[in-house]
Formats: sequence, C-alpha cells, structure tokens
Amino acid sequence: MRWRSDMVKEKIEIEVNGEKRILEIEPDQLLVDLLREDLGLTGTKVGCREGECGVCSVILNGKIVTSCLVPALKADGGRITTVEGIERDGELHLLQKEFIYQGAIQCGFCTPAMLLAAKNLLDQNPRPTLEEIKRAISGVLCRCTGYQKIIQAIQIASQSFDIPAQTPRLAQD
Amino acid sequence: MEKRKKKVLLKEKVKVLELPVFQEALGVVGKSEIRVDSQDKVRGKLLYGADMEFPGALCGKVLRSPYPHALIKRIQVEKARGLSGVAAVLTAKDVPGRNGIGVVIPDQPVICGDKVRYVGDAVALVAAETEEIALQALGLIEVEYKSLSPVFSTEEALRPGAPKIHENGNLLATSKIRKGDIAKGFMAAEVILERTYTVPFLEHMYLEPDVTLVTPHPEGWITIKGPMQAPFTTRKNIAAVLGLPMNKVQCIQTPIGGGFGGKEDSPIDLGAKAAVLAWKTGRPVKMEYDREEITLTTAKRHPMIIHCKIGAKKDGTFVAFEGTIYDEQGAYASLGPLIPPAGGVHVHAVIMLAGPYVIPHVKVDGYLVYTNHPYGGAMRGFGAPQVNFAHESLVDELAEILGMDPYELRIKNCVELGSETATSQVLDQSVGLKDAMQKSKEAFQWVKLWKPGPKPEELEKGEKRRGVGMAIGWYRTSIGTDSDGAGVNIHLMDDGSVLVYQALTEMGQGLLTTLSQIAAEALGVSLEDVRMVIPDTDVAPESGPTVGSRSTTLMGNAILMAAEMIKKPLLESASDILGLPVERLIAKNRLIYDRDNPDHCIELKEAAKRSMMLGRRMMGQGWYTPPKSSLDPETGQGTPYFVFTYSAQMAEVEVDLKTGEVEVLKLVAAFDVGKAINPRMVEGQIEGGVMMGLGYALMEELVIKDGIIQNLSFQDYIIPTSMDTPEIIPIIVEHPNVHGPFGAKGIGEMPNIPAAPAITNAIANAIGARIYDLPAHSERVYTAIKDRLNKKV
Repeated sequence: MRWRSDMVKEKIEIEVNGEKRILEIEPDQLLVDLLREDLGLTGTKVGCREGECGVCSVILNGKIVTSCLVPALKADGGRITTVEGIERDGELHLLQKEFIYQGAIQCGFCTPAMLLAAKNLLDQNPRPTLEEIKRAISGVLCRCTGYQKIIQAIQIASQSFDIPAQTPRLAQD
Repeated sequence: MEKRKKKVLLKEKVKVLELPVFQEALGVVGKSEIRVDSQDKVRGKLLYGADMEFPGALCGKVLRSPYPHALIKRIQVEKARGLSGVAAVLTAKDVPGRNGIGVVIPDQPVICGDKVRYVGDAVALVAAETEEIALQALGLIEVEYKSLSPVFSTEEALRPGAPKIHENGNLLATSKIRKGDIAKGFMAAEVILERTYTVPFLEHMYLEPDVTLVTPHPEGWITIKGPMQAPFTTRKNIAAVLGLPMNKVQCIQTPIGGGFGGKEDSPIDLGAKAAVLAWKTGRPVKMEYDREEITLTTAKRHPMIIHCKIGAKKDGTFVAFEGTIYDEQGAYASLGPLIPPAGGVHVHAVIMLAGPYVIPHVKVDGYLVYTNHPYGGAMRGFGAPQVNFAHESLVDELAEILGMDPYELRIKNCVELGSETATSQVLDQSVGLKDAMQKSKEAFQWVKLWKPGPKPEELEKGEKRRGVGMAIGWYRTSIGTDSDGAGVNIHLMDDGSVLVYQALTEMGQGLLTTLSQIAAEALGVSLEDVRMVIPDTDVAPESGPTVGSRSTTLMGNAILMAAEMIKKPLLESASDILGLPVERLIAKNRLIYDRDNPDHCIELKEAAKRSMMLGRRMMGQGWYTPPKSSLDPETGQGTPYFVFTYSAQMAEVEVDLKTGEVEVLKLVAAFDVGKAINPRMVEGQIEGGVMMGLGYALMEELVIKDGIIQNLSFQDYIIPTSMDTPEIIPIIVEHPNVHGPFGAKGIGEMPNIPAAPAITNAIANAIGARIYDLPAHSERVYTAIKDRLNKKV
C-alpha cells in the first residue's frame, strides 16, 4: 500500500524471470512495488525504502540494484531476475541448495536478496575469492546469521559451479 | 571430570542433581537437520505479514508528538475527519477499554490523552482508504501542546524536584543484592579497582518492518495478524484495550523477519492501535511502520551507567564486589520492572552484575528510572549484555593490575559445579563454563597469542597493532517468573503423521525445526512426519512468549509430556500386533520394534491405525512449568534461574593507531548449551549473536539530542555488514541440563553477551588503554590512544 496518484499510465515492456511482460504503470511507481504488487513477486522484500538495507535487491540487466530506488519506468526494456526466477523447472539453483545445507538461512528476510547478490557475482565471476564474496553481498544487510554461513554457502556453491563456456572471465585459481 | 566433581561435592554435602540417562541412541535429536522452513525461504515463497493480501483494508497511521514532554492542551480533528476517504480519526477518548498497554505495567497510552512523554508518542490515529489519504489526514490534525521541562538522564530524573514523567515519580523500581559483609570483604582485599561504564540505547534493527493486519468480526470478536514474539501477551493487552474478554481476541503470528526481543512489545503497540481503528470502523485495518518510525518509537536495549568496584587478594582471589546500576527506562515501563520473583530487565541486570564468579561479599543496588527518551524493552540478552561489558572489562583490568593472564584470573574465580553465585544460588547441575573456557583457549591458541599490552613508546611505532581479549558470561534459560508455563497439544494421525499445536514463534532461530526434532524423537516418527501449526491463540494452548531463551527447553519438555500420553496407547497397539510386552518395545524412525530383536518390528503407522480403530488416545497434552524461581526482594538472595548457559569468547583485533579504527580478525566463541538439539542451528545462533555483539562493541548506538533520535535509518544507525565478518569459530560444549529435553538449555541470547567485552578487552590489549563507554568507535579509540601517549603511562 504505497502512494497512488491519478497520473496517466505509461506502458513499459520488461522481461521478468525470462518472461516478457507489457505493463501499464504509474510514472512514479517504483520497481519494487511493480514487482510485489502488480506481478505478485513478493520474494522481493521491503526493509527501508531508502536503498540502505538491500533486501529489495534484484538483478537488472546483469547488475544488482536496490529495487526500492529504481523508478519502474527506468526498467523499461530491461531484463530482471528476482528470487522466484533462479530455480529451473522446479530444480533449486545450486546457491539455494547450499544456503539450505550450510545453514545460511535464519529469518529468511534477506535470503532472496542475498541469493541474487551471490548469483550475480557467480554469473560474472564463477570462482570469487573470499574478499570478492564479502564485497558482493555487502549491500545486503543480515541481522541474524552474522554472514559467515552465507559466505560459506557461496564459497561451496562456487566450487561446484559449472563455468559456462562463453564466460569471458575464467577461473582465477 | 563431571563424575569426579560429583564425588568431591558429595563429600562436602552439596546436593548435586543426577544426570538423566538416555537408554537409546538418538535418531533425530542431535543431528543438524535442515530447517523445515528452508525451501519456502530460499524460493521467496514464504509470505511475511507485508506480503499477504488484505483486500478492503483501511490504512492505519499514527500522528506523533514532536515534543519529548508536553501537555496536550487541545486537539482538533474535524478537518481530518472531513477529508474524503477518511474512515476514522481517533483520539484518547475513543479507546473503548483501557487506554494503556505494556507487558508488565500498562502505563503506555494507546493514544495519549493529557500528555506526551517522548518524541514519537501517539496523539491521534487515522484510518483511510489509501496511505496517501491517511498521510494527508494526519497533516490536517491540529494539536496544541504546552511544553514541559524534559528529563534526559537518570541523574536529572532522580534529582529532587525533577519534573515528574509519571504520576508516581521517576523512580520506577529498585533492586538490590546483599551477600556477606561488604565492608569486611573490602577490608580483606589487597587490591581494589573501581570503575564506571556506560552503554547506550540500541535498536534491534530487525530487517522486517513491523506490520499488523486486523479484522473485526461482526459477531463481536477480532483477529490480529502479524509478526509477534508473544501472541498471548499481545492478546491480553488488546483484549483490555478493547474492553473484551480474552477469548474474543485472536492473535495469529505471521513469519517473523527478525525479532531479537523487539517484537515482544511492538506487536502490542501496532496491534492495539490498529485494533481500536478496526473496532471503531468495523473494517479491516492494516498498519505498517516504516523504518524511521520503528527506530523512533519501538522498544530499545536499555542504556545504563554502571559503577563497580572489585576487591581481590594479590594472588587474584576475588573477595568483594560492589556495584550500582542506573538503568534508564525511558518513557514507559515495557519490560523494565520486576515480574516476581526475578523477571524483568532491571532485576536481571542486578542479579547478573557480579558475573559468573565466586565472590563471598557482594552488594549491588539498581535504580530503574523513567526519562523522556524512547523506552527500553527486551533485546537479546535482556540486561545482561550491559552488565557483562562492565564486569568483564573490570576483571580484565584487574588482571592487568595484578600482572596476571586474564584467562588465569578468570578461571581461578569463575563458577563450577557446586559453586555459589552472588544470590547464594548453588549451581547444582550443568555448569560447563570451565570446559568452554578451556576449549576456546585451545581453538584460539590463547597461550601463544596473549601477551601483556604495549608500553607507550611501542604505540608510537608502527601503523597498526594487534591485540587479543576474552570475556566469559552466563545467561539464564527461561524468565524467572512465577507464570512461566508452556502448553502444547499433539495429535497423532492414523497414517503416522503428527500435528503439533503450540504458539511459540519461529523468528529465524530455528524453533520450528528443533521442536519438530524433539517431537519426532519422542514419538518415534521421522522429522518430515511432524508439522507445527501456525501459532494462533485460538488454536494453540497458552505457550508463553518466545523470549528468555526458554523455547527449546520449556516447550521441548511440554512436547515430551504430550508425546508420552500418546505413546503409551500406541505401544499397547503395537504390543497387540507384535505379541510382545509393552516394556520391550521401542518406537523410532517410523518403526516399533523389539528391544531385544530389532528385526521383529512393525511400521509405527500400523500401530497408529489400530489405536484409532480401537478408540485409543491419539492426542497428548503437555504443560511444563520450570522449577520455581525465588529471590528475596530485601537481600536479593535466592535461586532466580534454574539453569544457566555459559560462554567463553576470545577475540583478536587490529587497531589502526593513526585513525582508531578497529578490525576484528578472529572470534572464538564456546558455549555450554547442555545438549545441541540441532548443532548447525546452534552454530547459527552463535555466529549471529557474536556479530550482533561486534556491533554493540564497535558501532551501534542511538544518538539522541534533546530527546530527538539523530540516526533513524540504516544509513546512520550502522549495523555490521559482511565486510565486518571475521573468522568465527563456534564451539559447542554439552553439560546436560537435568531439566531440559535431552539435556538442552537456551542458546538464543547468550552469544550476544560476552562478544562486546571480548572485543574491547582485545582493543585494550592492543593499545594499552581502555574503553569504558560503548561503542568503541574509532573516535573513542583514537582518543584513548592519544591520551595514553600524552600521559605516557
């Protein structure tokens, strides 16, 4: 339930989790509200609406963004991945599995954003160092886990991560 | 070790409790099972309160006081009421029942009528069709205040003639401990050290903002849904506010995105406000607080000023301890005051101040004082992190003065099986403190890393210096009150599946999983056969609140009791089928088998089916109350808490001598948890708790100027990020608790307690100067370094 004005609607075309969507939106609508309210993708959370806590993070055109700061209009023509889009045909992503096995989840409120930050890292850098992992998730706050088990889950996932052949940047080790 | 101790103690005629013996190897308990809610959480499918659809709901908003202390002279709501789309604008006189909420004393108005007591106090409520209209309506309400002199510290508040915040004055409570003869104790001391420590207000900063969804029913009852740690306390308060009997208020917990004690008070606050709006309008109401509103208005960790003085012999033996705590309650009582005999933040802090040490002469006085600041409530540790910082800093500095290794000084004086505490409680079981210390010492390589702090000239050399520090601590399981029961109902179905009806809440700690493990173990089914109902006060028996590190232990015991009621008839049915006496039957992992010939077995569900067919009992009920707590209000002597969890933590830090910045490199944290029902989740509590402690040590504080909080958002109120995470080594030690299910005791809060002093003691070891006020942010550390260099001591 956020601000709703009577402004004229604008049409945008976006790709969400691999699916093309043509949507009528209000010009002042934020991406987070578009995802949660119009598309029902409530895996993207709201913690502060100021781009500080990071729990609304999604991947937009290969970059991790806090969707509470992105006007939906700016996403026009873009490709968006939310937590609902990282499993394939009911099979959990490797990161999701390792988050479960390593105990990287507690209250779960930061988990979707953490997964996306981690996925975006591994997509671009399949064999990150410890420091690179820490930096990649540093925009998402977690008050429960102390981060160690999240970092471990990402490390373990990265070790068994298949590096796509076309990935320009190969393993660093 | 434990056995030898027992013998020695028996000789000294100290009664030590016998440990329970488990006949069978455990099937589910003690294993790091994956969380039962993990699938939904990684897939983003779990619906938290804000994710739930709530069609037709009005949006509830609160008009808040900009003054810390003022009289409300006049309030004009007509313009706001006239705005199209506004369903209700309510003031104090519209509250149908008691205009007061509070876990202990209902001194906090739902809507302030005559006066406001802190910046953020509620003066009017609005319900409107949209958030936009609700906010617009707030702007149309006119309030005329008459400002009163505010009181911003315990010192000011206790001054004679200070403005009275509440009618009965500003001193809300006092508590004391009198053990031995304090004057005699200090006479016998050869070294005396006296210090003052201060700790600030802290915000929980759970990531999920508070939200409540309230539905009034035409039949005259009401449903409150939202994240809540204490659905039954919420129910009790809202019933009083609406003037309804408790059975007409239903509280349903939605999944909690972090609580840490904060969601004990806040659901009452939001719930009561939204309930009044819903009751008046007859329509559902949704009320959300945004981040700033949460920081502005909800309960905090209490700030304290702690004076303490310790006396010891030259060989390090402690002989006397004296302390005074000025505990700032803020505007409302929340969980500060006494819940007899030993519940409430204030008395808990007083009880814990002398630390887990054997000291023959102890005197402690505590003053709990109202001010015009936000109110202190429960936050992970409930008064213990504050006093632990004090006693562990003091003992550490004493070691320095005595020229002793701080580890040696602690282990010389700390409690063990049979020891007597400051309240003269004899620790008659489950005391693994020395074991935890020993194990952390080895894992940390304390002997290799620790050396006395630097001389001043050493500080002038180099850019960075490393140091190591440690701290020990203890924390109760359960809350030390007379009213601490936990109830559960369990139903076994004829297909062998199990439904558990209870209402302690999952907030990330893993309760759903540990309780399922206990239920599965007790009934002999597998983990996936157990489902816990959503906590709902209409469905589950009174379970008490999810606080005080009580849930696994108390509810675990209640589950064992309930399971026993089902198991007896179940085994009778199995006995019919197998043709064996009940005594020879074991139920485990979905099978019931002959103890002497495990291959002779049936599936458990066959016995369940037979039980159902014959009308044998398929449900069990458990109600567990822990051993009675006692505390003499005059002397502070008694047995306040029936068991304690113990911890030893060690930290290595690196201090930048040019800037005062501190980096924590390594944390070792060992805990005697009695029995880890799920070791990986215990580790999760440890790692998360010590990192919250790292925040307490180095960065977290609410900065309040003239009653106004300066850092409401995550941008200004800094909590640890992944970049701050050092290597954390969690260590589990198990000295079984005879009163715990399978020997378990609490772990939720303990990790948050000794982490801060372990880190500040490491800073002291690195720079040879001490930090007496939390947090030890770079400015304070920098100043400490400069002061030391200037004084050359």
